[in-house]
Amino acid sequence: MQLSRRGFFKVAGAAGAGVAASTRPAEAWQSRAPADPQGCLVDLTRCIGCRKCEQGCQTVNRLPAPEQPFDDLTVLDKKRRPDERTYTVINRYYPGRRDERDQLVPTFVKVQCMHCQDPACASACIVGALTKKENGAVHYDVTKCIGCRYCMVACPFEIPAYEYRDPITPRVMKCTFCYERVEKEGKRPGCAEICPVEAITFGRRSTLLKIARNRIKSNPASYVDRVYGEHEAGGTSWLYLSGVPFDRVGFIDVPHRPLTQLAESIQSSLFSYMWSPIVLFGMLSGVMWAFRNKGDRDTREKGGQP
Amino acid sequence: MTKRLSLAIALLTAIAAIGGLIGFQGGVPSPSEAVAAAEGAEKIPAPPQTSATPWTAPDQEAAKKRAQEFVPFVEAVMEECDLCRQMRLRETGLGIKDITNSYFLLDSPIIKKTEDLYGPVRFKHSKHASQLKDCALCHHRRPLDAKAKETTRCSACHQEAFRSDQPERLGLKAAFHQQCTGCHQEMQKGPTDCLGCHRKNVPDHKELVKLPEKPEPTQVTQECLRCHKAAGEDMLKTAHWLWKGPSPYTLNRSKHVEHGKATSAVNNF
Amino acid sequence: MSAHAAPMRAKFWSPGVLVLAILMAAGAAAVLARFIGGIGYVSNLSTARPWGIWIGVDVASGVALAAGGFTTAFLAHILGRHYYEPVARPALLTAMLGYTFVVLGLIVDIGRSWAIWKPMVYWNFHSVLFEVAMCVMFYLNVLYIEFIPIVVERFKGRVNLPGLLSALNGVAETLLSLADTLLSKLMWLFIIAGVVLSCMHQSSLGSLMLIAPTKVHPLWYTPILPLLFLTSAVAVGYPMVVFETTLATTSLKLDPEMQVLSPLTRITIFLLGSYLALKIGDMVIRGTYVYLLDGTAQTNSFLVEMIFGVIVPWVLLLSPAVRRSRRWLFTACTLIVGGVLLNRVNVFVVGYRPPVSENYYFPSITEILITVGFIAGLMFLYRFLVTYLPVLNRPGQEVSA
Repeated sequence: MQLSRRGFFKVAGAAGAGVAASTRPAEAWQSRAPADPQGCLVDLTRCIGCRKCEQGCQTVNRLPAPEQPFDDLTVLDKKRRPDERTYTVINRYYPGRRDERDQLVPTFVKVQCMHCQDPACASACIVGALTKKENGAVHYDVTKCIGCRYCMVACPFEIPAYEYRDPITPRVMKCTFCYERVEKEGKRPGCAEICPVEAITFGRRSTLLKIARNRIKSNPASYVDRVYGEHEAGGTSWLYLSGVPFDRVGFIDVPHRPLTQLAESIQSSLFSYMWSPIVLFGMLSGVMWAFRNKGDRDTREKGGQP
Repeated sequence: MTKRLSLAIALLTAIAAIGGLIGFQGGVPSPSEAVAAAEGAEKIPAPPQTSATPWTAPDQEAAKKRAQEFVPFVEAVMEECDLCRQMRLRETGLGIKDITNSYFLLDSPIIKKTEDLYGPVRFKHSKHASQLKDCALCHHRRPLDAKAKETTRCSACHQEAFRSDQPERLGLKAAFHQQCTGCHQEMQKGPTDCLGCHRKNVPDHKELVKLPEKPEPTQVTQECLRCHKAAGEDMLKTAHWLWKGPSPYTLNRSKHVEHGKATSAVNNF
Repeated sequence: MSAHAAPMRAKFWSPGVLVLAILMAAGAAAVLARFIGGIGYVSNLSTARPWGIWIGVDVASGVALAAGGFTTAFLAHILGRHYYEPVARPALLTAMLGYTFVVLGLIVDIGRSWAIWKPMVYWNFHSVLFEVAMCVMFYLNVLYIEFIPIVVERFKGRVNLPGLLSALNGVAETLLSLADTLLSKLMWLFIIAGVVLSCMHQSSLGSLMLIAPTKVHPLWYTPILPLLFLTSAVAVGYPMVVFETTLATTSLKLDPEMQVLSPLTRITIFLLGSYLALKIGDMVIRGTYVYLLDGTAQTNSFLVEMIFGVIVPWVLLLSPAVRRSRRWLFTACTLIVGGVLLNRVNVFVVGYRPPVSENYYFPSITEILITVGFIAGLMFLYRFLVTYLPVLNRPGQEVSA
């Protein structure tokens, strides 16, 4: 028994060591982010909360009409999240700043898919229905989707919504970055195009970062010195500038390394070329061979502790 | 007696004022005409082009034409601080007297290319100029080209949004909005909401409204409510609907106890 | 092959089985509602909480608690400890049914159930879930193959199909003997493959949540989550065998097999001890003990999981008296099974806190009904199969194949 138990531990130990070894940050991990994607820079100091971007989005993406019309600004009284009928929403915050008439100054925040550079959803997707396109869009292909909703678990910004009420063909619903419109028709995203004040600037991500830095530099009193999305989750295609600290207007802290890194490193160090399963298979075969004649059929007669 | 007379006069002036508001031209209309006109206006909100006597201000036509004009894009602008620009403009002696166009329609094919949600803004150039007395507030930059005019129109520099060659230049629509609302907010003067400056382009209701040949009044209301549900709910909270009591100031009806639309008033359905 | 395993001759429709049937019917009604009204109609899942108890219990716990299959297969077949074979068959049956119901649970949970085959065509090698799905798919087939000898043993030479089908008797007979010959030569492949596949996806099930560092409570979110999932699955394997064997032998009034179960749990002392050491070591190294007294639902759930699910049963098992006592052994093993189940629920449900919405989630009645219905279905099928197939040992009756 001693022998067999030791053999067992050996194998268990080896399997454990394999997993443990993989927890080292693997240098092998490579970002698959596109080199120069397009993106949008949302300047919260410019946004006036008119909800035109919501309207533009709904029209361009042929989404269902909203319960309350877009010019009804009372919907801003409540905080909303994008859902299966809406790709983007505007929320109003009162971060505490007052104007000269002692009125609280609102800050409006547009919420939509951030189109991460290394999207967790795309890494998670079991069938690769979500992919990061060269132009920056995180694109959803409904024909592949099985509806496991792992993308929703993975997304740090809690963006993908689900058509829970559809029993047979529900879809994951999230901002498309107007992929077809931008890529095939050469137009701008619906929200950026309709925005009356250019609170949303559309362009190359590298350019947008320069613009953002410039705006902060040329008007340091109006901005906090941070571009949200520059590093968050390894960088996102959508970037934000704000006049008030981001945590006061509903932005969450997200790790700066891509969320995909840890799981992908572990997976690839364990399963590249299927080495660990093959090794384990070989070891177990060896053990089985070694123990083929050392069975303990007779221990039953001894009865009791083996 | 005198009281009743003064009441009547007050009422007449009010009606006349309403008549004038809805665009009645030519002299003071008689009360009956005014009422008829008001009723007519209620039924068909006729745009000026289709009315029986089309009349538009001469500067309106000119402004429309100007709004359609395309100005060559100014690539490079002179970089100077706002104060320098202000001082320089003052030194050149530019002022209200140099204004060539006192009225503009803020509209452009550049904007219309991407959307058509609102009508053009009617902008009183001379009025703004005479109140501000500072051209540099709006004409904040000049073309780098020395031969160009000192002040040029917005659409010379601001055209399409998100030009890849000029990533930091605002598009025309954003330039208008940021300039106007920014200043209005700062000065606490002038409208800052959408409808304060321009009329919404209402979709053609001829297509949208679906009514039988000779509709019942209730059918009409229901058809309106089909889309304007919120407006209907709002109506139920207005004095028009809720009001109850005598109407001592209404001619010939001061003794009647009348009620709002919710109960017994005319056109109540 | 055990010479003692035999079909039970017990009456099938006992009161317990009737209760199971009622629960199954309720679950089936809820499943029907899910396929008519959609997931949103029967569950409390939302944008913030895309995974609920269907994943936490039906899938994650289902996989973990089916670990008895590969751990006993390893012991009895790979290490050749044939002494343990009496429990290897019921453990195999539990694993087979467990994984079958994992797949059934997934069919209910995924939005496009009809598209469940798509991962076989569209591969995303970066996806942990893809690997889990592939392993579960292959392993389920391995389990079915491993189960074939039991069917062969029961029906070989005795095929007697009713009515018109009797024409196929000859064919079925040929198939059975073919399977018998082939499998007796190839079974070792499937047994090893089963262990390899199990190790792969038991650990990867933990890797699933590594992609959500901001959502999983730090008490559970650790880079060694895959290792913890693997060790806990290995540790719960034998206790689960004890748990189910004790239930089955009690219910069917059979030999309690204590002479097999007691030594099994001696191994568990080491396995569970390793898991406990890893858990505590991880907590100390990452400094997450600071959360232990903050009184939130997460913390309390963690404490229950660790104290009642790991520490107490481990201490209990240390005592030989406990290991010899049927009642105490069952108690300790039930605690371990509950602890691992709670761990999976904690990782996937309780410890999952979406930072933006902070959405509160509690499963709806219909959601629970579906889960309970599946568990009832599993027990029902177990009962059915042990009644008609040679899985459990029957005392005083030698029915050998």
